Amino acid sequence: MKHLKSFFSFTIPLIIMLVTFSIYLLINKVVDNYKSNITNDYSIMVIANTPIGTLDTISGIKVKDVKILKKEKIIKDVKKNLSESSLKLLKTKLPYFYQVYLEEFPTTFKLEQIKKELTSIPNVKRVETFSSDHNKIYSLLILIQDIIIVLFAIVLLLSIFLLSQQIKIWFFEQSERITIIQLHGGSLLYSSKPIIKVMIISTISSIIIVSLFLFFTINNIAILIRPEILPLIPNMTDLQYDIIKIAILACIIPLITFFGLLVQHKLK
Amino acid sequence: MILAKNITLTYDNKRNIIENGNFHIKEKDFIFITGSSGSGKSTLLKSFYGELPIKKGELYVNKIDLSKKNNSKLLTLRKNLGIVFQDYKLIAEYTIEENIMLPLELHNYDSKVSTNQVKNLLKHVQLSHRVGAYPAELSGGEQQRVAMARALAHNPSLILADEPTGNLDEYSANVIWKLLKDANQHLGITVVVVTHTIPNNFGINYRRFNIDDGVVYEAS
Repeated sequence: MKHLKSFFSFTIPLIIMLVTFSIYLLINKVVDNYKSNITNDYSIMVIANTPIGTLDTISGIKVKDVKILKKEKIIKDVKKNLSESSLKLLKTKLPYFYQVYLEEFPTTFKLEQIKKELTSIPNVKRVETFSSDHNKIYSLLILIQDIIIVLFAIVLLLSIFLLSQQIKIWFFEQSERITIIQLHGGSLLYSSKPIIKVMIISTISSIIIVSLFLFFTINNIAILIRPEILPLIPNMTDLQYDIIKIAILACIIPLITFFGLLVQHKLK
Repeated sequence: MILAKNITLTYDNKRNIIENGNFHIKEKDFIFITGSSGSGKSTLLKSFYGELPIKKGELYVNKIDLSKKNNSKLLTLRKNLGIVFQDYKLIAEYTIEENIMLPLELHNYDSKVSTNQVKNLLKHVQLSHRVGAYPAELSGGEQQRVAMARALAHNPSLILADEPTGNLDEYSANVIWKLLKDANQHLGITVVVVTHTIPNNFGINYRRFNIDDGVVYEAS
């Protein structure tokens, strides 16, 4: 009964922490997926009187591609309403149109910087970022991502607090046993063997439970979320990496908490 | 085995309990440490297993200098001692076999060897019939016999006993004295016992250190 109580006292905070972490991983994937989608679709229009030359980076963001819009194509669209002489004049006077594709989707602040940098290039007449619609959804996703990070940090701290309290209670309850073992030459680590065993079992159990939770969630995502959000969910085939991350976190947190308290107990 | 050179022991650095103690306990000695209540008998014994730091002087137990703080050496020393306490200090959650097995586990004995050793020791302390019992199920005398078995389990070269018969009736006390005498006479273990009174007709040669007003001296 005592062991069962200790087991649940360790496993429950660990599960809560790992579930929050897996939600964080899931949201990250969704945001990253959305980012890559909008980055592929998104381009900045640059209008210049003369060719602008090569662009590698703008305001620290790598340029993926620069496409030049053919003048003939633009003229073709307005050809019907213009006379032959006007068309000739237009051909000579028409500026260069560029579509600049970036490696990543910039934030509003970055976009302002990009606009400034592009405008400062000689002979650039106009820069159009077309960002308002994209930015609204992107900002919302970033906000959700930040909220999840804060939530995860809070849950992490709470879990560490609960685990440390449980270990402290155990040390208090077992103080006589620890003293006797130490009097016989056993180290503090040796006398902590029972709590280490419980922690190992709790860690393994929580990894299994949360991995199953993640597996179930991803496989039933269509049932669990609204259909309009479904297109945002990426194809999650690399689940094993997430489980590895979860396992690493599940091992590191109890380990750090335990050894921190062991050192504290030793110093006392 | 134990060598003290001008040792001074104190509690909380306030009052010196033992002052400038000089003595030498040799291998296979049977030593009684006597003195009135509060004279510092148990304090002196505690210093032998590093439970109390040495304020001044040098104290060597099994060639380990206890006046220098070294945790790993202290654990090594304790592993090779057998200690018997007045209040037995058995682990309540362990069965008597598990309690006796503790020093064997700390010495990484093979489990088969340990089981046999525990079986023999239980027979030696006449507790074979209590296999599987927990300390709370035993009388004081039986608990002290378990503590004796634990102290003997790993064949230590030195047994330290702090008033081992202090809480026991005459019969149980005699059993414990016999076990301590056997350990000294037949196993060649050095025994240091803190006691109020030395039993009459003890039957073996022993030395007695008396503590009086903080001074340790060998009494005849």
